[in-house]
Amino acid sequence: MRRIVPLIPLLTAVALLAAACTPGPKDKPIADPGADVSGTVEFWHFFTDREATAIDGVVADFQASHPKIKVVVKSGQDDSKMTQAIGGGQGPDVGLSYSTDIVGQFCASGAWLDLGQYLTRDKVSLDGFPQTVKEYTQYKNKRCAMPVLADAYGLYYNKKLFAEAGIAGPPKTLDEFADAAKKLTKRSADGTIQVAGFLPLWGFYENAPSHLGPMVGGQWLKGDGTSAIGGDPAWQTLLKWQKDLVDWYGYDKLEAFRASLGDEYSDANAFQKGQVAMNFDGEYRIAFAKDQAPDLQFGVAPMPTSSPDRYGSGYVTGNVIGISRTAKNPEAAWELIKYLTTDTKAIVKLANTLKNIPTTKDALASPDLHLDPEFKVFVDIFNHPKTSTTPPSSAGPAYQETFQTFCDTWQSGGAADLGKGLSDVDKQVNSLLQLGG
Amino acid sequence: MNRWLLWTARYSLAIALCVMFVAPVAFLLLTSLMTDSQALTASYWPHQWRFANYADVFSKTPLPRYLLNTVIYAVAATGFMLLSSVPAAYALAKLRWRGQNAYLVVIVCMMMIPPQVTTVPLYLMWANVGLTGTLVPLVLPMLLGDAFSIFLLRQFLLTIPGEYLDAARVDGCGEWRTLLRVVLPMARPGIAAAALFQFFYAWNDYYGPLLYTSENEHNWTLSLGLASFKTLHHVQWNLVSAATILTMVPVVVLFFFAQRAFVQGVTLTGVKG
Amino acid sequence: MPHKLRHALTVASFMAPATVGIVVFFLYPLGSAVYFSFTKFDLLSTPEWVGLRNYRHLFDDPFLTRAATNTLWLCVIMVPARMLGGLATAMLLTGLRRGSGIVRTIFYLPALAPPVAATLAFVYLLKPGVGPVNTALAQVGIDGPLWFNSPDWSKPSLVLLCLWAVGDVMVLYLAALLDVPQAQLEAARIDGANAWQRFRAVTLPNIAPVVTFTAVIGVITTLQYFAQAAVAASAASGQATTGAGISSTFGYPEGSTFTYPLWLYVVGFRYGALGYANAMAVVLFLVAFAVSLLLLRRSLKVT
Repeated sequence: MRRIVPLIPLLTAVALLAAACTPGPKDKPIADPGADVSGTVEFWHFFTDREATAIDGVVADFQASHPKIKVVVKSGQDDSKMTQAIGGGQGPDVGLSYSTDIVGQFCASGAWLDLGQYLTRDKVSLDGFPQTVKEYTQYKNKRCAMPVLADAYGLYYNKKLFAEAGIAGPPKTLDEFADAAKKLTKRSADGTIQVAGFLPLWGFYENAPSHLGPMVGGQWLKGDGTSAIGGDPAWQTLLKWQKDLVDWYGYDKLEAFRASLGDEYSDANAFQKGQVAMNFDGEYRIAFAKDQAPDLQFGVAPMPTSSPDRYGSGYVTGNVIGISRTAKNPEAAWELIKYLTTDTKAIVKLANTLKNIPTTKDALASPDLHLDPEFKVFVDIFNHPKTSTTPPSSAGPAYQETFQTFCDTWQSGGAADLGKGLSDVDKQVNSLLQLGG
Repeated sequence: MNRWLLWTARYSLAIALCVMFVAPVAFLLLTSLMTDSQALTASYWPHQWRFANYADVFSKTPLPRYLLNTVIYAVAATGFMLLSSVPAAYALAKLRWRGQNAYLVVIVCMMMIPPQVTTVPLYLMWANVGLTGTLVPLVLPMLLGDAFSIFLLRQFLLTIPGEYLDAARVDGCGEWRTLLRVVLPMARPGIAAAALFQFFYAWNDYYGPLLYTSENEHNWTLSLGLASFKTLHHVQWNLVSAATILTMVPVVVLFFFAQRAFVQGVTLTGVKG
Repeated sequence: MPHKLRHALTVASFMAPATVGIVVFFLYPLGSAVYFSFTKFDLLSTPEWVGLRNYRHLFDDPFLTRAATNTLWLCVIMVPARMLGGLATAMLLTGLRRGSGIVRTIFYLPALAPPVAATLAFVYLLKPGVGPVNTALAQVGIDGPLWFNSPDWSKPSLVLLCLWAVGDVMVLYLAALLDVPQAQLEAARIDGANAWQRFRAVTLPNIAPVVTFTAVIGVITTLQYFAQAAVAASAASGQATTGAGISSTFGYPEGSTFTYPLWLYVVGFRYGALGYANAMAVVLFLVAFAVSLLLLRRSLKVT
């Protein structure tokens, strides 16, 4: 009996692998224009609770206007689950992800279908979308995703603290930014930080290289998909500027200060408590700040930049939606996606309830969009021609996270040679690109 | 005098440790009574006591449904595990056969592949037979032995002196009868420990239900329900804490009563010592 | 029926279910892992054979070296700490009479809490500056460390966390200690043995199989240490309330809590290099195998 044991697993393994890894049918012919679309669509998204209710509302509108299509919604599905399900042949018809990091893998592997043929057939023009949004929903000219709402990042500043320090308005250049940060900083007698004008540590709240990169216009990837980080002097400008500011505060003092601060989305958020006078954040912070700190007087502005022609731009990212290659009803799936991503009424409704930025030009210009003055600043950042995003890569967020790891080492003084450190980042990113996707 | 000192020392230490062990749970309890925005701030005492969090947990999720699924998962997994693993542990600990050492090593090896890697082929397998979306992939394998439990039970069975088994065999009991009549009563503490571990593991298991049942809310367990109190940019830790406390209560009560199995298992049978 | 055959059939009847389990839930995933480790695979496309490339890269990956070092540190410190902590609490409990049921339950409480919530609570109690532990230390004039926010203290803080949740190990020792024959202990006492000698001569040999078990399981679970390290990092960095995508905080501060399985997960599931992740898994498997064999060798001789 013991002798035949090793044979069984081998046979099972081979059989199961063969069954599992057969690629799905490629480029199924699509229906003729105007064909009658009906049937059931399974739609997975990551929202839960109140936000899931908002999605349900828009899906109900869709069903009212498309009575022949039945949408089955599954909330709270995250990306890794969706990846496993598609890999296992059990994926949904339509999937919504919170991260543009999956676009590269999903497009390259064909896990999400190429939407080009549907767009052509239904004469949906991509001119209706801002350039940045088009960039993060396609990979190597293959459009497998469409945008559903976006986030834009800018600078929040505390007006009361600005007035106390005698600073007129938000800084526009890196030098002004550093000066303001120093002027706004308050320390106690023993040198511990009481209020930081700006907390320059990487990894603090939203201080990721991706969010701050537009300050210097840093490039992430070359045309062939390999890392451009080491070869772009802009990143060195940003890192040197940041390290100077860190050293002015003292790294250990900053870490101790940071450790005492409250969690990002609690009402002990350091910016809302006035412990940090300037902070980078997304447009969604407006709603949290007004709700959790009604007395806080804050302003929002585009981030300071190293060159004046980029002032007004910022970082943009968003949710993406696509059709799985395992979809049982791709035609109906496409109808749902078309509705959620191009119907102005639907987009504005979602944007107003979820307090995110709508992703088509028509929706951005819609009179129904709730625009308070702060939100308007973010819409302008979103529309700025120099606004940028983190490009899709076949290795997902590997290039961002590898760089961030180096940034952590750099700010603590653990890397002496900036140029070598950045070329090591290139090397690591490029080998990860080879091993993955 | 000496005895009294020892007694005092023991109880002071026990009480000090109790405070340490309770503190983080107390933190969860306090957090569960805070407003959403106070959770995870520097103030550990609720500004306003929000008992409504517990009502919210019930109204926002079908908690009884999750509870039922969790009970099904935990009870079935534990029962199945005992059925398949106790005999295997017995054969490994108390029978003599060629290759039993190698077999034990294989059992121990089963736990060594990181779960991140085994999930992929196993998920593909369950997807191929169309059982994803159900609790079957979590429960059924327990009928086929659980490495952790087999190893644990085997180690406990080793501590049972062989004379008792020989006596039973001399009386003409077959191996199955020996197992049921002699070994089971004597090994009660070990079996109770293994069963509790399996039960608590299933009760708190998050990645298993996430992988296999997340697309079918009808089959969600409590631990999966815990994860639903989050929004795109924000986790509601007050509700997560409230749900965590609610999840913990049944197992704490269970443990309080089940622990007697360790103590009584020995004193009642009276065969030892 | 000949005796030999009957014995073989008996053994087979005891072992049959587990044998099927081994084939389906061990040999098949292991075979897959070994196969994938020689391929480029992202779960979504067909695996592509790349020979030894993934294994070669293991020697050229600074992130892997860092993660392996952290995991090794945890294994060396955490495993013995948990074993000693579990044994000490269990022995304390056997010495209690009144109220032992309540005390046992309280000691076990942290092990019953879901790891994510428990870790979060622990990090907040140790929060520098404002947390109760450092506040109490300040009262007696001690300037508390930065705990989970300091690269030097983050791993020791994880050890404290695992000591806090030592209840599972404690329960095992408790069950084993209560199995130690009282008659032997009594005999030793009459022979004039002191407490330590009684422990060495009677208690330890009786609970030896359970000690072996906790050592082997300790090594295996520490090699797979994942959730607590991930949650502690995100909570300490101030981003526990951030809903989506926690992996950007993995390893905080300064990569000091980045463990081997975290890197395996990130590479395999975030960067789409599942082939490489499988190579990492095979190596981890071999290491765990070697260590366990070492720990088990005495237990195997017993049988």
